[in-house]
Amino acid sequence: MGFWDTITDLVEAATPWATADAEAPAQELPEETTAESTKEEASTEAETAAAAEEPAAEEEEPAAEEQEEEEEEEEEEEEEEEPVDPKEQLEEDCRNSKQCSPAKHHFDECVERVTAAESSEGGAKEDCVEEFFHLAHCATECAAPKLWSILK
Amino acid sequence: MLARSCLRSTRAFAGLRNGAVQITKRAASSSSSGSTAESPLRLNIAAAAATAVAAGSVAWYYHLYGPTADAATPAEEGLHPTHYPWVHQQWFKTFDHQALRRGFQVYREVCASCHSLSRVPYRSFVGTILTVDEAKALAEENEYDTEPNDQGEIEQRPGKLSDYLPAPYKNDEAARFANNGALPPDLSLIVKARHGGCDYIFNLLTGYPEEAPAGANVGAGLNFNPYFPGTGIAMARVLYDGLVEYEDGTPATTSQMAKDVTEFLNWAAEPEMDDRKRMGMKVLVVTSVLFAMSVWVKRYKWAWLKSRKIVYDPPKTDNSPRRF
Repeated sequence: MGFWDTITDLVEAATPWATADAEAPAQELPEETTAESTKEEASTEAETAAAAEEPAAEEEEPAAEEQEEEEEEEEEEEEEEEPVDPKEQLEEDCRNSKQCSPAKHHFDECVERVTAAESSEGGAKEDCVEEFFHLAHCATECAAPKLWSILK
Repeated sequence: MLARSCLRSTRAFAGLRNGAVQITKRAASSSSSGSTAESPLRLNIAAAAATAVAAGSVAWYYHLYGPTADAATPAEEGLHPTHYPWVHQQWFKTFDHQALRRGFQVYREVCASCHSLSRVPYRSFVGTILTVDEAKALAEENEYDTEPNDQGEIEQRPGKLSDYLPAPYKNDEAARFANNGALPPDLSLIVKARHGGCDYIFNLLTGYPEEAPAGANVGAGLNFNPYFPGTGIAMARVLYDGLVEYEDGTPATTSQMAKDVTEFLNWAAEPEMDDRKRMGMKVLVVTSVLFAMSVWVKRYKWAWLKSRKIVYDPPKTDNSPRRF
């Protein structure tokens, strides 16, 4: 019995048509854990909010500024935690690269012309959509492979 | 007369065939003969006229059909979507099912509030995006009409795997009313239904500029998006960095979410893609095996013919010359 098991195991491991089964699901369901974590986050947020409110209630006028500062700091921290889109930076680099300099030159010139016309004679007779198209096409075309190498 | 005309025509033909040498020959011959003194001038006129007609017909054709007439301005056409190197579009690559799972999360949390996905049933998620239990739990979150009971009443029951994803609006009119007159299209087949496919969707989702270019005419209630035909789209930018929290910890940047949801929508449009590519691989395997077998069989069947040797066995004679 055990002897044949080892042999069949060896055969199964060696055959190229061996099946690969998915792993057994984890004991804790991911939905529950996320729900718990969100609850915890919510509770901690509520606690911090309550903690921020309590001193404000005690001394309102001087604490108001401090509270604003704290909120700003918190917002900054949250912003730091947020991921930054690599696409913006890549396309900005591409827009300023030598490859796209003609398109950018035309676009900048057009924007200058149109804004001047809008301010002076009350209404420009053209728009910069086509120039924008050429610039955007050049920038995205240049950034596409770089972006795909970064994204998962 | 006939002989002379024949001669001239053959000369002209030869002159057409290779120009310079024949022309000099002809000039020499004509000057020597003197009888056909007018022919070079007439030939030159004929050649020049034929050339003029040829060039003129080309120019006329180009004048008539050459320049393409576009009915729409580039802005009305929309910016052509940039091609991105999608991995799942390669011949021997499948969908990245982790990306599909992320993309479905983005659809559910972001897109589903306006866009329906009405041709996709819950059962199709099983094994591709979700596990059976997850798909069942998801189906049970929504209620569906039952068959009429004994009294003819239609009751509500929790969803099953065989049900289709619910639409956010009851009908198109309700969708238009809720969205300022614009109808959010059903996304089941949107990748197949739009020129540019995945590239168009990705570019559209990520292509909202921070401000419209100078002088652009953006209608009331519309947003500027260069990739949308006409550049005025009723859908505002929806994807912002960190909008969704991925369960696998992938940083949820705008372009990452757009990429995932685009791949998910491609799956929704052609869920058979993985199987189709595997079928193609099977076809290649089977045909290559059959071709190899046919080559060997041909060699076997032709062996007697290819390996035969034809020998001329001369009749045995003595070497003396024959006498008649």
